[in-house]
Amino acid sequence: MDFTFTDEQAMLRESVSRYLHKHYTFAARQALVSSDRPYSAEVWQHFVDLGLLSLPFPESVGGVGGSVVDLVAIGEPFGEHLLVEPYLASVLLAGKALAATADNVRARDWLQRILAGTALGAFAHEEGNGTPDPAQVALRCKGTGAAFQLDGEKRLVLGAAEADVLVVTARVEGEPGRRDGLALLLVAPGAPGVRLTPFTTVDGRSAAHVAFDSVEVPAEDCLSTDAYAVITSTVGDALVSLSAEAVGAMGALLRQTAEFATTRRQFGVPIATFQVVAHRLADMKIDVTKARASLLYTAALVEAGRATPRDLSVLKAQVGRLGRSVAEAAVQTHGGIGTTDELAIGHYLKRLLAIDAMFGDSDYHYRVVGAGA
Amino acid sequence: MDLTTGPELDAFREEVAAFLDTAPTDAIREAGRKLTSVFSPFDEVMEWHRILHRRGWAAPAWPVEHGGTGWSVEQRYVFAEEYARRNLPPLLPNGLKMIGPLLIDLGSEEQKQQHLPGILAGEDYWTQGYSEPGAGSDLASLSCAAVADGDDYILNGSKIWTTLAHRANRMFMLVRTDSSGRKQHGITFLLLDRLDLPGLQIRPIVGLDGLPEQCEVFFEDVRVPQSGRVGAENEGWAVAKHLLTHERGGSTSSPSLYRFVQTIREAAAVRTSPFGGRLVDDPVFQRDLGELEAEVASVEHVEKLAVSGHPISADLAFPSLNKTVSSELTQRLTTLMARVAGLQGLPQQLQALHVGSGAALLSDDFDLVALPYYLNSRAASIYAGTNEVQRDLIARTVAAR
Ligand SMILES: Cc1cc2nc3c(=O)[nH]c(=O)nc-3n(C[C@H](O)[C@H](O)[C@H](O)COP(=O)(O)OP(=O)(O)OC[C@H]3O[C@@H](n4cnc5c(N)ncnc54)[C@H](O)[C@@H]3O)c2cc1C
Repeated sequence: MDFTFTDEQAMLRESVSRYLHKHYTFAARQALVSSDRPYSAEVWQHFVDLGLLSLPFPESVGGVGGSVVDLVAIGEPFGEHLLVEPYLASVLLAGKALAATADNVRARDWLQRILAGTALGAFAHEEGNGTPDPAQVALRCKGTGAAFQLDGEKRLVLGAAEADVLVVTARVEGEPGRRDGLALLLVAPGAPGVRLTPFTTVDGRSAAHVAFDSVEVPAEDCLSTDAYAVITSTVGDALVSLSAEAVGAMGALLRQTAEFATTRRQFGVPIATFQVVAHRLADMKIDVTKARASLLYTAALVEAGRATPRDLSVLKAQVGRLGRSVAEAAVQTHGGIGTTDELAIGHYLKRLLAIDAMFGDSDYHYRVVGAGA
Repeated sequence: MDLTTGPELDAFREEVAAFLDTAPTDAIREAGRKLTSVFSPFDEVMEWHRILHRRGWAAPAWPVEHGGTGWSVEQRYVFAEEYARRNLPPLLPNGLKMIGPLLIDLGSEEQKQQHLPGILAGEDYWTQGYSEPGAGSDLASLSCAAVADGDDYILNGSKIWTTLAHRANRMFMLVRTDSSGRKQHGITFLLLDRLDLPGLQIRPIVGLDGLPEQCEVFFEDVRVPQSGRVGAENEGWAVAKHLLTHERGGSTSSPSLYRFVQTIREAAAVRTSPFGGRLVDDPVFQRDLGELEAEVASVEHVEKLAVSGHPISADLAFPSLNKTVSSELTQRLTTLMARVAGLQGLPQQLQALHVGSGAALLSDDFDLVALPYYLNSRAASIYAGTNEVQRDLIARTVAAR
C-alpha cells in the first residue's frame, strides 16, 4: 500500500501552497483577522477558481469527486497558514450534510450555490461541549406534519453570521442519548425567532451562538428525521480535514521552532546546543511524525471505506493531545517572545487548542477508544 | 506552626472576614473574578492596595518597623485563606515582594525613607527592568549602558518584557557601567524615581491572551541621578541575586492555588459531560482534579514547613524548586480550566475582560477567563528565570558537574 500523495494530489497541494505562501503570509493573515472582515473574499474567489469548493462532492451533485485524501492534501497548507476562510463551515460541514441529503431538491439547490461560491452555509450542530456524539443533541424540534418548530440553542456555530443558510441538527423525538429521532433542517438565519450572537474565536474565526425561539420550519426544509448516520459521517469526514489542519500547524511549529533555536543565542551559543532544548525539539519531531502518520493512514482507511469510529477517535485524540504538546513546547522554546501575539507561534497554539476542543477533545476520544468502541 | 485553632485565631478570622466582606468595592471584586494572570487588573488592584494599606494590612510579610502587620504565621495563613476564598485580586508583587524587601535589606537610609512609604501605600508602581532583547536567560550579558556624567548617569539601550511599564511610575533596573571584565562584573542596580523622562519611550507588547501586559522600554540619552544606585557601582549583580530570592520565594501561595481547584469544581457542577450527566460527577474528571488538588496540598505542606523554620527551606535549591513547582502547577490548573470550558472558552471576549466594561458575557465568568488564563500562564515557566534554568540550578545541588 502506498500512502504518498498521487501526482495529482501533489500538484493540487503545491498550487494551494504556492498561492497561500504568496497571498496568505502571517502578516496578511493578521491584518485580515484584525479587520472587520470575517474572511478574505479574494482568497475565497481564488478557491472557487481552483475548484476547491467543489472538490469534496460527487459528480452527481456538480462536484469533481475528490477524496478524503485530496482534502488532506490541501488541509495541511490550510493549517500551516492559519486560514480563517469558512471552508470547514460552509464546504466540509454544511456542504457535506447537504450532499448526503441531496435527494431533497432544496438541499441540492443550496449545495449548488455553495459549491459555486454564490452562497455560504453553516452547520448548526454544536451544543456546547463539542457534541461529538450526535445522540446527545438536545435542540427541540416539534413536528406537526406540515411544519416543524425549533426551540433551544446552538453554540459556537462557525460561519453562522455570514451564512445564507443554516443546516441545523435537532431532536424530533426521544431524549438526548438516543440515536433515533434526530432531524436535519434548513433554516434561514433571518427567519423569525432566530437570534444570532456573533463573535470571533481566539483562533480568528467568525462564529455565533444561535438561539431558536419557536422558529417555524416548513416540511420541505426538513431534510431528514433519521439523521444520525448523516451527521456522524459529516462530522467524521470533517474530523479528518481538521486533523490535517492540525498536522500542518504542527509541522510549521516544528520548522519555525527549530529555526529559532539555531539562531537565538544565549551564553554565547545557539540555544539548540543546550541538551534540554535539543531534546524538546526531538520530542516535537516525534510528535509531528506520529500525528502525520495517523493522519495519512486514517485518511486512507476512510477512502477505502474501512475507517471505524475507533479509528477516527484515535486520530482526533492523538492530534489533539500531540498538537497541544507541540505548541506548548514551541512557546517554551521561544522564551518571552513566544508569549506574545506578534509571532505566529502563539496563533498556532490557539488554533490547535480550538481544533482539540471541537467535536470532542482528546480526553473524550481517548475514552471512546479505551471503552473499546 | 500551630495546627490547632483557638478562640484567638477564630476571632482573628472573623475580623479578617468582616473586613474582606465589606471593604472591597464592586470594581475590585470584579477584578478578582476577571483575573487571568498573576498581575491583577491594574487600576482596581492599586485601589484595593490603598484600601488594605489604610487598614494596615497591605504587607503582612514586612517587618513591623516598616509597616508589616506583625502577624504570626498562623494569622498570615488565615488572612491568605479568607482572601482567596473571596476571589479578591492579589496585590501586585513588584513593590511588596521585590523592590520593597530589597530596599529594606540593602537600600540606604535615604532610599528607604524616600521609597518604602509609596510602595507600602500603593501610591507608586515599580516595574522591573532587567531583561533585554539579547539578555534573557543569560541576564548577565545585559548591555543597556549607564555612563557617569557629573552626579548623573546617561542611559542608552533598551529593556524588554518589562511588566506593566506602561502603568508604572518607577523602575528598578540593571545597567552596564563597565564592560571590561567578567560579564557579572560591571552591572549596576539603579532606581528610577520617575518614568516620564526625556528620551525614555515605552511600547506595550500584546500577549497571547490579547492583552498588553509586558512592554519594551527604550532609552536614548536618558539622564538620571546616581543617587538612585543601590549598592556600589559595578556590584549590582549581587544586589539582583539577592532580589531573585525574594521573587522566587512565595510563602503563602497555597490558598490561591486551592482557589483554582475550588473554581474548577464549581464550574464542573454546572456543566455537562460529553458522555451525559454533570461533569463534576464524572469519575475521570474527579481523578484529574484530585491529582491537582493533591499537588496543591504538597505545595501547602512544603511552604508550611518552610514558614515554620524547617530546614527544608535552607536548601540552596529551595527558591528554584518553589518557582518550578508553583509555575507548573498553575499551568496544569489553568489547562484543566481551559479543558472544562472547552468550546465555550473559545470566543474572544477582550472587552468583557475589561473591568467595568459592562459588556455582556457569552456564557459565565469561568468561560470568560479560562482560556486567557491558560494562555497567560504559559509565561509562568518563562518569567523569573525559565524552568530549564531553574532545573539546572536544582541539579547543581544534587550532583556536581
Ligand atoms: C510574562 C513575562 C513577564 C516578564 N516580566 C519581566 C519583568 O517584569 N522584568 C524583566 O526584566 N523581565 C521580565 N520577563 C523576562 C524573563 O525574565 C525572560 O523572558 C526570561 O529570563 C527568559 O529570557 P528570554 O525570553 O530571552 O528567553 P531565552 O533566554 O532566549 O530562552 C529561550 C529558551 O532557551 C532556553 N535556555 C536558555 N538558556 C538555557 C540554558 N543555559 N540551558 C537550558 N536552556 C536554556 C530557555 O529555557 C528557553 O526555553 C518576563 C517574561 C515574561 C514571559
